[in-house]
Amino acid sequence: MRQASFIINGKRHHVVIGEHEMLSDVIRNKTGLTGTKIGCSQGSCGACTVLVEGNAVLSCITPALRFDGANITTIEGIADTHGLHKLQEKFVEKGAIQCGFCTPGMVLTALDFIKNNPSPTKDEVKMALSGNLCRCTGYKKIIDAVIEFAKENSEENMSVPGDGDKQIATQKIKNTVGIGRPYIEANKKVRGMADYADDYQLKDALHVKFVRSIYPHARILKIDTEDASKIDGVRCISTGKELPITFGVLPISQDETAMAVDKTRYIGEIVAAVAADTEAIATEACRLIKVEYEPIKEFLTIDDSINDIGANEKIHEYGKFNNNIHKKAELRFGNQEEGLKEADVVSKMSFSFAGINHGFTEPHAATAYWDENGLTIITATQVTHYLHRALAKTMEEPLSRIRVIKPYVGGGFGGKGDPFPHEIIISHIARKTRKPVKVCLTREEVFLTNHGRHPSQMTISLGASKEGLLKVLDADIAIDGGAYGSFGVVTSYYNGVLLQAPYKLDNFGFKTIRVYTNKPQCGAMRGHGAVNSRFAVESLIDDISHKINMDPVKLRMKNFLDSNTLTVGHYRITSNGSRESLQKVADQSGWEEKYGKMEYGHGLGVGCGFFISGSALPIIWNELPQSTVHLKVDFDGRVLVTSGANDIGQGSDTMLAIIVAEVLGISMDKIFVLGADTLLTPVDLGSYSSRVTFMAGNAAKNAAENLKKEITTAISLKYEIDAAELYFSDDCISSNDKKVDISWLEAIEIVTANRGAVCVSGKYISPKLGGDFKGAGAGLSPSYSFGACVAEVKVDIHTGHVRLLDIWGAHDCGKALNPLAVEGQLEGSWHMGIGQAMSEEMIYFNGLLVNNNFLDYKIPTTLDTPEIHCNIIETIDPEGPFGAKECGEGALHPVIPAIANAIYDAVGIRITKLPIKSEDVLELIKQKKEQHNKQTTIT
Amino acid sequence: MIAEKKYIKPATLEEAIRLAHEHKDDFSYIAGGTDLLVNKYQGNHIAQCLIDITGLAESKKIAVVGEHLKICSLTRLDELGKHEIITSKFPALIMAASEVASPMLRKTATIGGNILCENRCSFYNQSEWWRESVGYCLKCEGDICIATGGKKACFSKFVSDTAPVLISLGARVELRDIDGSKIIDLETIYTGDGIKPRNIPDTSILKTIILPLNQDIKIIFKKLRPRQAVDFTSLTTAVSLNEEGAIKIVAGGVDPKPVIIKGDIKGNLNDYIKMALSKSRMVDNDYYSRKYRREMLRLFLEQSFEELKNI
Repeated sequence: MRQASFIINGKRHHVVIGEHEMLSDVIRNKTGLTGTKIGCSQGSCGACTVLVEGNAVLSCITPALRFDGANITTIEGIADTHGLHKLQEKFVEKGAIQCGFCTPGMVLTALDFIKNNPSPTKDEVKMALSGNLCRCTGYKKIIDAVIEFAKENSEENMSVPGDGDKQIATQKIKNTVGIGRPYIEANKKVRGMADYADDYQLKDALHVKFVRSIYPHARILKIDTEDASKIDGVRCISTGKELPITFGVLPISQDETAMAVDKTRYIGEIVAAVAADTEAIATEACRLIKVEYEPIKEFLTIDDSINDIGANEKIHEYGKFNNNIHKKAELRFGNQEEGLKEADVVSKMSFSFAGINHGFTEPHAATAYWDENGLTIITATQVTHYLHRALAKTMEEPLSRIRVIKPYVGGGFGGKGDPFPHEIIISHIARKTRKPVKVCLTREEVFLTNHGRHPSQMTISLGASKEGLLKVLDADIAIDGGAYGSFGVVTSYYNGVLLQAPYKLDNFGFKTIRVYTNKPQCGAMRGHGAVNSRFAVESLIDDISHKINMDPVKLRMKNFLDSNTLTVGHYRITSNGSRESLQKVADQSGWEEKYGKMEYGHGLGVGCGFFISGSALPIIWNELPQSTVHLKVDFDGRVLVTSGANDIGQGSDTMLAIIVAEVLGISMDKIFVLGADTLLTPVDLGSYSSRVTFMAGNAAKNAAENLKKEITTAISLKYEIDAAELYFSDDCISSNDKKVDISWLEAIEIVTANRGAVCVSGKYISPKLGGDFKGAGAGLSPSYSFGACVAEVKVDIHTGHVRLLDIWGAHDCGKALNPLAVEGQLEGSWHMGIGQAMSEEMIYFNGLLVNNNFLDYKIPTTLDTPEIHCNIIETIDPEGPFGAKECGEGALHPVIPAIANAIYDAVGIRITKLPIKSEDVLELIKQKKEQHNKQTTIT
Repeated sequence: MIAEKKYIKPATLEEAIRLAHEHKDDFSYIAGGTDLLVNKYQGNHIAQCLIDITGLAESKKIAVVGEHLKICSLTRLDELGKHEIITSKFPALIMAASEVASPMLRKTATIGGNILCENRCSFYNQSEWWRESVGYCLKCEGDICIATGGKKACFSKFVSDTAPVLISLGARVELRDIDGSKIIDLETIYTGDGIKPRNIPDTSILKTIILPLNQDIKIIFKKLRPRQAVDFTSLTTAVSLNEEGAIKIVAGGVDPKPVIIKGDIKGNLNDYIKMALSKSRMVDNDYYSRKYRREMLRLFLEQSFEELKNI
């Protein structure tokens, strides 16, 4: 250890640091400036960027002692204490901030760049930001913010702080619904002041590290902790036997323990945990724990697990057959045999898809402690409610003694949507040691935790008449679930059921088999369940359009379901913007002029999709509403919104505030949202299945209407006026005759007189939907979103490299409550789809994940992201809050097949495997040429 | 007991070398550190004493000395493009440097670090736990090469993007150690042994890169990687032609060392390509398959020859 000093943001810090300590650790842990984020610890994501003597450096791979005595600027220091730097203002204004975890690094990288290049082109900005990963925005709004900042600012005034009241001004915009605005917490995020899970530094906290299995499938014979326990600073070592109670997000898949008990089921599974005074001590102690294993035959692929396994040991004991099948889901409607007979043309293809990971930039992190109120855990989660239940179960504590707090969360996309072992383990160790216990997973551990999209194989047949009417769809699907259940039963159904729209299909059926394998478990990821099967169907439609010589846009238009109709599987379709979406992207992309008419190697493709706006059924069956929102207004006129909904960067807190402000006719600055704290907020089931805007939004609307009634009643009594004559708008309550014309605060004085604060509740309960057959509940939703994409590509026929030129996307979100946020969600969805299409895959070697970091797992950078043209389609859903429905997941579906179909248009090859690797494309081009040559020879 | 670590930042080259000899059993020089520190994070680099040479007094100079350009090895990759002589005389070097990693990394990474960049392999650039799980390969004290399923040689890839261009330009490097300086051809420092890919003593500092100025060499540079930023190379080629018609192929990412083929423009170009392919010991330790990278090596060389004709 050595003493060093740094002038950070103008203040000198004398600190004692480790000789090899990285600058990021010193900044975060020794000075408490946690605005500097750590996303990868390997210099691959840029979240840790700070300025040293004005120059940007990646602080996670910078030895602190290199800059002993230096001037360092972190995100907290680029503006004065009250305002924002003008670049920060631009990030806020442009909606360039979603989860906010990459934001500090982006801002500092951009500042450094603009300093040296004050008038950059767009390409230069993209280049400059290409080492900073963002998983939420698709970069578009970030690039826009930087370019606009550069335009508006000369080099001289760069360091002048901006007007910190700017966001507040935007919050005073009248007419709240439908007006684009930054997130309510955007200022806090852009200043680095928003606390994420690993930013909480509790007194005397212990740090936990894990021993993980090195075998995919092995019995644990012995765990020797003796040497580890002798290390000074080690406070507790725990093993699986201490936590034998199983858990899982679905009641029917309670198949996981926090640590492996008798055997391990994947390489990376936690076998033991060490809590110590520092992370370094815990890490060292983990190295000294000796685990004796007896390897068992492992099952690593769908083929391994689907068949009878002979005398070998199954991955899980339950299940009546001698294989590793976890779930079979099958539903059939109409008559597929008849459909096939009726079809003039049938296209049948087999597809395979690699597993992919959510890639959120904030690693899992949590802190737990026990006190007189029981357990409190602050954790990066999308599902406070389900974690609440899982902790009560595994800790064997009453629900009333568990408090789950969601801090700001750096993205989730489904990957923080389950209760996790690390959350249970630190809760357990905190109880044992009576100390706060914290954990932050490395990026490698995040990848091992996984719960990402299932690797899948499927064969699908689609039949149509020669007039282009779809007659039959049959899907045979197998998905690789990894070692545990997670959301897998739902995934199994979604792969199939979510094919019954957006096209009318009378004869439709599917069978999905989910298998266990000895790999990290798969679960829910953005667009849950149907992304891969949607890709397959959209590819088949493209194929049929070629077979019957019909434009694929026209073919889709012919087959779309109408609004206010039922699908063959009894989904109730209400609003439906399929046609508008497709027309929009066709028009905007110049489809008529370009499709099928460009030179060889240059192509245009189209895809469509739809998705649920929240599952109509809860995961755990009970009579609770799907969402409850409480409002409290006190003498000061501020409305406190409390909701269990988890804002994970998608902007749901802002959405709740908009709805409440709209109903009450008040400005946004009178709203305060408290989200996702199971002690303080009423139950919302969480951020999954794209349910929050529809369900929590409706609950907020209902609560606001109830509050409005209370206020109306009080005023009508006082003024002796009919309640129906009162209007709420512009922070006033008035009647047409001006008998009542009072301010919001005056109204609050009236309603709180002799009563005090007014508290009301609002709720959302989905209507009863669906058929009465087994499996009818899967994919049922009170509303569905619809969308379309067109992609334009150029294929290098010599290398097979596919260059994306443009993506045109349109998505029917019912009503954009906050268009800026909706655009952000859509652009982020398309970007994530581009990643799955072009470069992302989880690569295994004998069950060991090879690409477990942000260098080798290929999330598209700014330079790999084409121009994205965003279109919001509004259809005003009859049951959505102000007509709104989902926009966070469904948009992902059409973009991947649009890219593949564009490749077909460019070079005539059909992509049946994701990601689309250059070498596969090249091989297919060659095969096609050979085929062509053969045919020519025969002719 | 957690071992004692040291971080020393000497002010002069002499002091750095003296310190290196003092700690010669367990030390490493560190310049930009963008690779070294990741290797350290993953437990592949375990030196307890780091000697930071970024503060050396004579560092970061680029100067014309007689008929040569001398580039201090501590010059950051993003600084190369700001130097007029380099941009005008050696544009391929700028192109290569600007394709290394990402702009953020290039602000710290040095040209010396890039040409001395540790060889990489999917089975080596992993955490300690990961390598234990896979069963430690040859490069980290295991018995076999995992990538090849058991060969007794290491095929970790040479991944520098700037070195192929520098070798094409006939770069020499000045090495300094306690017994003085020596100047050698850059291409001679690479051993071809994936485990110990360079033959420079640990205590030596690569001080300067020396490029002849009075030559007219045309270079075509190409790089294959999955993304347009961040990624290490899957294949780098620099194909050069001098005024006398001499051709030099330098390929990176295909072997534990740069593969170099020399020839003449009047010779059989296809033979040179075949020789390059035959000398490249590619294995499946990359994002792209061995088969594809071999195919792309052929294509890149064919395209480069074609482009050279058109310059």
